[in-house]
Amino acid sequence: MPTAYPKASPTEMIGLLVLLNSHKGSEDVALLADDLDLEIDEIFPALEFAEVLKLVTVHDGRATFTDLGKRFVAASIRDRKEVVRDQLLRTTLFKTLMRALDGAPDHTLSDEQLHQIVSLTTAPADALVQNIVNWGRYAELFRYDAADQRLIARPRPSSRASSTNRPPPTGGLSGGGSGGSGRATSSTPRSTISQTATASERLAAA
Amino acid sequence: MALIRVEHLDKSFPSRHGTISIMQDISFEVKDSDFVAIVGPSGCGKSTLLRLIQGLDRPTAGRILFRGQPVDGVARQMAMVFQSFALYPWLTVSQNVAFGLEALGWSPERIAPQVEKYIDVTGLDGFQEAFPRELSGGMRQRVGLARALAVEPSVLLMDEPFSALDALTAESLRDEILQLWQDPALPPDAVILVTHNIEEAIELADRVLVLSRRPGHILAEIPIELPRPRDRKSSAFYDMTDRVYSLITEGRPTTGAEPAGEGAERAGQML
Repeated sequence: MPTAYPKASPTEMIGLLVLLNSHKGSEDVALLADDLDLEIDEIFPALEFAEVLKLVTVHDGRATFTDLGKRFVAASIRDRKEVVRDQLLRTTLFKTLMRALDGAPDHTLSDEQLHQIVSLTTAPADALVQNIVNWGRYAELFRYDAADQRLIARPRPSSRASSTNRPPPTGGLSGGGSGGSGRATSSTPRSTISQTATASERLAAA
Repeated sequence: MALIRVEHLDKSFPSRHGTISIMQDISFEVKDSDFVAIVGPSGCGKSTLLRLIQGLDRPTAGRILFRGQPVDGVARQMAMVFQSFALYPWLTVSQNVAFGLEALGWSPERIAPQVEKYIDVTGLDGFQEAFPRELSGGMRQRVGLARALAVEPSVLLMDEPFSALDALTAESLRDEILQLWQDPALPPDAVILVTHNIEEAIELADRVLVLSRRPGHILAEIPIELPRPRDRKSSAFYDMTDRVYSLITEGRPTTGAEPAGEGAERAGQML
């Protein structure tokens, strides 16, 4: 697993996984890039981030979904977020960040502290730090105050699936697969939410 | 009854060199649960057509009916997603999403949960207090989408919503648009997407309207009956792309299947 954190947004990484899915889940990296008329190095950051989150493995220039990656791409917008959160929390960088946030007196980290922590695992260039902040926000791990450049802890969602303000899965965000016309009404739900395991475990067990 | 009926629409502008006709005799219908894509070369009046449908601009001749009623003035039952996102830079994500609801006169107590709901479904949770400048292009367009959906429009109009985005980001947003569209619990009842990307139109829509060069008129209306999610590498997809490409480049209406040609080689390119 790469230890550096490449500069790719969550949306770009999801785009790469959607693309890989349209290649049946395994493809030569050069052909993936070619499909979008991109240079190969333009898709590397997104690919590397997918590797960091263990959604994809790359061997001999070929990218292949892990089981979790396969389930991630079939999951709903909301469930994908949960997987990202779980997977980020398994990385040294986010573990360290969250521990520092929890331990800070007012549960906030200054810009300087943030740079310090990021520099333990990757180059603390501003753009890369901002990218890390972006991932943490996407995964709802912390808030960021842009005016004061502070990271702020937010109430930890133990699991959104068990929180009361979330409606039960309706199967509405369905995986398509129905005919070409109209809106899907009967296909299987994109993912099934159980009440206990983390999103990654739930998707992995599904 | 059709959700939207466009009847014999003409639009022209006066200029120093006489009148310029943008589109001529455009007629079509949009039904409930319809996802219609409008494709055509640049300058064919695609975006103008969307503006006319929403009532942001008036046709020179012809009319637009929404559930049988003529559209005169801005139709509140429709919302637009713009290529340029059109966010207010001084407002946070939440405030941008709330904007349309405030304009409709919703009370603050009703606005807050509505904003939360659409921030949640579009995957924007965590960015509520961010300003647009802090967001990537993909996140900005999610805000544009959340703002449009929050008013729970009957018809969602999308004007080249992915063309200002990098290729990977566009790939992910197309996937998410389809997810949201396939959720029967969410608005809208119908989508009209304007795009110059033929593959995008065929990937997303139930029907593709092909417009000619200016003055724009409808060359063909092609139902896309491939099951979703659509495989862009399948021969059926390829044939469909080829057919639309040929229509546009040859600029004349045809009937029946087009012979396969070299068109598809270039069909993925922007027109």
